[in-house]
Amino acid sequence: MRRTVFAILLIAVSMPGSPSTRKATAQTVEHTLAGEWVMTSSPINGATVSRMGNSLGFPERDMLFEQEGDLRSGVVLREDVGQNVRPLGSWRVRGDRFSAAFQLWCPQSDQPCGSVIMRGTFLDESRVRGTMTVFFDEKDSTRPTGYDTWIFSFRGNRVSGGSN
Amino acid sequence: MSAGLKAARNGPAAILIFLVLLIVATPPVFAAKKLDGRWALTITIPESPGSSNRRTLAVTLDASPRAGSLHGRLTVTDSDGRTVIGAWRQVGKNISITYEVPCQTGDDAPCATFILIGKMKNNSGSFINAKVIVMWDSANENNPALFDTSVGSFSGERLP
Repeated sequence: MRRTVFAILLIAVSMPGSPSTRKATAQTVEHTLAGEWVMTSSPINGATVSRMGNSLGFPERDMLFEQEGDLRSGVVLREDVGQNVRPLGSWRVRGDRFSAAFQLWCPQSDQPCGSVIMRGTFLDESRVRGTMTVFFDEKDSTRPTGYDTWIFSFRGNRVSGGSN
Repeated sequence: MSAGLKAARNGPAAILIFLVLLIVATPPVFAAKKLDGRWALTITIPESPGSSNRRTLAVTLDASPRAGSLHGRLTVTDSDGRTVIGAWRQVGKNISITYEVPCQTGDDAPCATFILIGKMKNNSGSFINAKVIVMWDSANENNPALFDTSVGSFSGERLP
């Protein structure tokens, strides 16, 4: 009798849709950046410029991330500057962490340009935070990569009603 | 007799027209080559952060024209047939490409972001000073990037 009760309990626990498996399913949320986000940046340890004096400032950025199958692209929405100003990038998600890489938009070719990599964590489906690392095209032999490197932090909020 | 000599006989206006036609019809041999098009790239990087062992990746890159923009999109397909999107820019001969590398299966497998920087050779359609900045996913507070970084190299050949 005891064996029968134990077996029934075991079957009930392992059945799909049982309370314990529903909880486990709810915890395995598949995160996505797809959609529109507003990213707000701030300095880390007061570093407002790189060692070589380069900076992006700390603007609020409207960013659109898109996904078609396995192809994930991103664009910074800068219509405020010009209709054709569309800094491009790409992204990926692994668990609750994401990475995105963008080219900087540099209309003045005599100024240092570069690329920025965002590394962040999903706080929930509508909020992210992390750091951005900028590799400027300017040489800096004190850096492991040989290029001027600058970091700052960011927080992001999904734009409700934005394209997703 | 060449068209140029004929034009010289017909006066300055004809010479001017001839020169305009010459500029329009001649391929821009003196302009920097553009990255647009398909490339076979060979990328050599450390196997993992801090590793002295190197591994070589063969990828096919397909760069779309920038269509008047400073940036262009591209796709990168690795030897396993996985395709990801990237972005590129070019100023003169200098090119920069960024993309997210497809992660290997397994939580502990190293994953990274690539920044390819180099100069295009005018005539051979290949690259010089071609470096790859690798930013791994592993956090490292002692690195100015806050993540492990490595430097690799790449070479490329334009595909028909």
